[in-house]
Amino acid sequence: MKPLDPRLLRQVRAARWYVALTVGLGVAAAGLIVAQALLIAALLAPVVLGEGTSGPAMVWSFAGLALVIAGRAAVAWAQERYALRAAARTIAELRRAVVEAWALRGPRAAASGGGVASGSGTTADGGADASTSGSGSASPEAEVATLATRGLDALEPYLVRYVPQLVLTALVTPALVCVVLGLDWVSAVIVIVTLPLVPLFMVLVGRLTAGTSERRLATVERLGAQVLDLVAGLPTLRAFGRSFGPGERVRVLGDASRKATMGTLRIAFLSSMVLELLTTLSVAIVAVGVGLRLVEGAMLLQPAIAVLVLAPEVYLPLRRVGAEFHASVDGVAAVSRAFALVSSGSSVRSEGEDVPAPAGLRVAGGELVLEGVSVRAGGRGVVAPAGLSARIPLGSGDAGGGRVVALRGASGSGKSTAVLVVLGLLAPDAGRVGLASPDDAFHDLADLPAGGLESWWSALTWVPQRPSLPPGRLREVVLDGTAQVSDHALAEAARLTGLDAVVGSLPDGRETRVGLGGVGLSVGQRQRVALTSALLDDAATKPLVILDEPTAHLDARGEQAVLDTVRAWRDAGRTVLVVAHRASLLRLADQVIDVRSAADPAGDPAIALRAGSGVPGSATDGETR
Amino acid sequence: MSTLKAYPGRDRGPGLTRGAAQGSGRDPLRRILPLLEVRPGKVAAAIGLGVLALACAIGLAAVAAWLIARASQMPPVLTLSVAVVSVRAFGIGRGVLRYCERLASHDVALRGMAALRANLYERLAADDRPVTVKRGELLARIGQDVDDVGDVVVRAIVPAGVALVTSLGSVILLGALLPAAGVALAFCLALAGIVTPWLAARAAARTEARGATARGEVTALSLEILEEAAPLRVSGRFGARLGDLEAADARLSAVADEGARTSGLAAALGALAQGLAVLASLALGIPAAVSGSLSVEALAVVVLTPLAVFEATAGLPAAAIQLHRSREAARRLLELAPANPVSEVRVSPASDTSGKEGGVLLVLDGVAAGWPDAKGVPRVAVEGVSLTLRPGSVVALAGPSGVGKTTLLMTAAGLIPPLAGTVPAGAGALFVAEDGHVFDTTVLENLRVARGDVTADDARAALDTVGLGAWLAALPAGLDTVVGTDAAAVSGGERRRLLIARALLAPAQVLLVDEPAEHLDGDTADALVRTVADHARETGRAVLLATHRLTPLAAADEVVLLGHGPHDPLGAPATVVARGSHERLLAADPGYAWSAAQEQTASS
Repeated sequence: MKPLDPRLLRQVRAARWYVALTVGLGVAAAGLIVAQALLIAALLAPVVLGEGTSGPAMVWSFAGLALVIAGRAAVAWAQERYALRAAARTIAELRRAVVEAWALRGPRAAASGGGVASGSGTTADGGADASTSGSGSASPEAEVATLATRGLDALEPYLVRYVPQLVLTALVTPALVCVVLGLDWVSAVIVIVTLPLVPLFMVLVGRLTAGTSERRLATVERLGAQVLDLVAGLPTLRAFGRSFGPGERVRVLGDASRKATMGTLRIAFLSSMVLELLTTLSVAIVAVGVGLRLVEGAMLLQPAIAVLVLAPEVYLPLRRVGAEFHASVDGVAAVSRAFALVSSGSSVRSEGEDVPAPAGLRVAGGELVLEGVSVRAGGRGVVAPAGLSARIPLGSGDAGGGRVVALRGASGSGKSTAVLVVLGLLAPDAGRVGLASPDDAFHDLADLPAGGLESWWSALTWVPQRPSLPPGRLREVVLDGTAQVSDHALAEAARLTGLDAVVGSLPDGRETRVGLGGVGLSVGQRQRVALTSALLDDAATKPLVILDEPTAHLDARGEQAVLDTVRAWRDAGRTVLVVAHRASLLRLADQVIDVRSAADPAGDPAIALRAGSGVPGSATDGETR
Repeated sequence: MSTLKAYPGRDRGPGLTRGAAQGSGRDPLRRILPLLEVRPGKVAAAIGLGVLALACAIGLAAVAAWLIARASQMPPVLTLSVAVVSVRAFGIGRGVLRYCERLASHDVALRGMAALRANLYERLAADDRPVTVKRGELLARIGQDVDDVGDVVVRAIVPAGVALVTSLGSVILLGALLPAAGVALAFCLALAGIVTPWLAARAAARTEARGATARGEVTALSLEILEEAAPLRVSGRFGARLGDLEAADARLSAVADEGARTSGLAAALGALAQGLAVLASLALGIPAAVSGSLSVEALAVVVLTPLAVFEATAGLPAAAIQLHRSREAARRLLELAPANPVSEVRVSPASDTSGKEGGVLLVLDGVAAGWPDAKGVPRVAVEGVSLTLRPGSVVALAGPSGVGKTTLLMTAAGLIPPLAGTVPAGAGALFVAEDGHVFDTTVLENLRVARGDVTADDARAALDTVGLGAWLAALPAGLDTVVGTDAAAVSGGERRRLLIARALLAPAQVLLVDEPAEHLDGDTADALVRTVADHARETGRAVLLATHRLTPLAAADEVVLLGHGPHDPLGAPATVVARGSHERLLAADPGYAWSAAQEQTASS
């Protein structure tokens, strides 16, 4: 384990600046410590020896000592003052990098676990719950969310307390050893011999005890989790009338937890005892040695006092490093996890910000082509969708040129995954998906030039089951930047999607504030906002609408609103690609595409290759009505 | 209503009467301390060991100072032997004693945490208020909060005690040699041990309070970007969102920066105090030594001891911050589990006879159900519901989501008091929540939550009934497989069925099942509802189930359709808009028939 990750210095500006400052302050601190020791010795020695004191020299020494003390206070101030700020900025920089890298990785990782959930209409709330409760579940999403929200906070104690001591150990300790060497070489030898013993013994003790304490720590965590589990299950226990039985069990578990923890601590504290023992004993040995040589007249008093003052200071940074060891473990772990995420995400092509749309990607009037698209659902042992082929004519934006295309299939057959593939968010494991322009040029979504994916997205509207909304007042959220909408058109769209009823039920109506991620609105209400917003799009610039039909808790009125909205999109000349869960939507479809899953032929490259050219019969370009 | 204001997170039904107002003005940390069952003797022992350890460090400095001052006068070596031995002994004693102190203080803290957990559990178990969202958040934090409260022993009480005793000792030592130096040291120690921690804690508390909004924004934005990355990218809002995150983080940094001004001042004062103490000792000691009123050995002790003494106060800023953090944690825990939660008596006049007449298991008579809103005013969600459950009867509550089905079931179970009408108490009705808890233990133990004496065969039969036979067979250790927090082992649908299986094993005569079909595909859902209905008829129990899925309701004796009339004003309570058998409603209620027809899934 590296105590200071070099990537932190290379890639995070705030951290680089901070470490530079800390090094500067460390040099200053070393100088001040030495000056303080020498000045105290210079003031004290003549008096102790009864040599009499010359007034002016003493005044100068006092003034110097006062200055040194002020200097040390200033160093302490600057260290604390800028450490907190640097920590906050470093955390912010890393958080942004982690969030961006993970978000740009695309939904592949999510798709492996989400295939089942998205098909059966499980609300996506589960993800948020897992991340907020931080229950340490194994899912990478929860882990990233925990890291981005709370995990990186471990950097604060690491940067504020551990790193400065580390720098001081590297700077002050050798400097002081040199000064001691100049004052009294015997003491310097003692220090030089004992200093390396400290890390050596700590490593030895750590090695000897690591296995034991890790095992015990696991026990402790399990016991603690069991108690929390009982508390979390209290409503259930109460419903069964069994809430009082486990009270005794909580006590027993707590006691077992304490015993296990104490076992760990007895061992864990050994290393800090070794640290304290060695450092204090070394100071004692130095002091006794100096005293005995004074008696023999082998040494002068003034350097003896300076050495006595300096000896504890030599070991102090090392002791503090040891004391902040846990801060370092958590901080270094958080840093390396953050960089692991950032570097794994950086291979993904980065989001072009204002790249002009490449010529030739004309979406309106073109055709969306899927050829033998297969996606492996990680962990489920299936390919879903398997060998999906279809040609979907895209609307032109002219009234009457619209079309409703339904994706049909059983739960887990890969309908939602197919949508991700069509969006270009997920590259198929086999087959290809792309756009055939009206002039018959084919653009594979996987091979689009930089910015091509963005221009594809700008030509479509995606309404997922759980739409994300920008924050703001409801009216602005619905309009979402498209200002050229008459009140009449807005009212008409709201009536169609049932948003008007939602607005009527909200205390502040259209002026209701929608929070981040749609806070303040239910999933169903968010859905209606997104539908309304999508209705107001310009049909010519956004000829394709992709809709994952909402299933959870949709009543008759909600269902009707969805059907009416889909019809309105078609009437406006847009192609509506809809993941259909209900018969009513299928009846509306002009084209039905059956999505099927198949057993995963993983490990059999022949089948995988064959899927690439479209497995005959495994998918149909559904009947057209 | 003053107690309500003091505990904003507490949602209470209007019919509930609480015990006398608690002393909400007192320090929450002091109020929670009895729950830790801390034995003062053990704390005193830990402090004593800490004092001895630190005394070794200070003693080492003082004796070493005396030693070299005396040695410089070149006395016979034998006169120094006591000092030499004690310096070495102090050198060894410090590490060992500190080790003992840490073990002792951690033992106290861990005992406290264990007791606190158990006491909190018992309070929570005795408290029958429903779990609201706010309480859910608090529950999620309970582990961390208990740790934070326990930490107060190790990180605040013991260091403060040690600092106080050693500071006093040092002041007395110096004061005995040179009274003025003692006074100066006392002053500097007060600066480092009182002013500095106070400043540091204030800075930390302010940063925390002011940064709370920014922190919340940062968390929400991070989660949103992580979860909604794909929609954000497709809709072109991704870059703007990242910008928002950066802006929120910048606000958080600004708050931290502001707090750093104060904590920087605290750090400077801490460093200054030590320097001033040395300077004062020199300034006072040298004239005294020159004039002969202070021996030169004593002068060395007076000057060099302060260098070691300030180790006592070095940890106090952190201790003060910990004190603040522990106090906040204690406040949350007390909010979650207030003292003396009085168990409400909800026995309504009609209750005592209800279970006995004519085999009637549960009667609801004109019941209105609802929750208090944010201001504590009860808001009726659904009203005027009357129904009778006899052995074997299966009644379904249908209606759109949000109409109040779950609230009504919880009212029927006696978990929340009715806002009007009567609900019999003690009817043995079991509420089977949609989000019931699957415990982090084996499948069998999870089923035994229903009834302690469930055998393996009972368990298998129940799992078979709900269609989990194949699932059970595929589990690596069968009934002994651990399920629970690691959700990977159980999918949403399996979890739902496991909860139903557990309910079927319970001795309750009335099952109030909320959304049995959620997270299941159509056919499985319908089969499960039929299973529950058949089970009730076979065993002579009664089932009241809430569902928004209508297809399987042919299995019910009666369907009670909740909803709003066409002319109801917005926000009016839902009422029973139709009732009867599934077939009758299909024929007579066009809306019901339409809804049922929509449920033909696309895949079937």
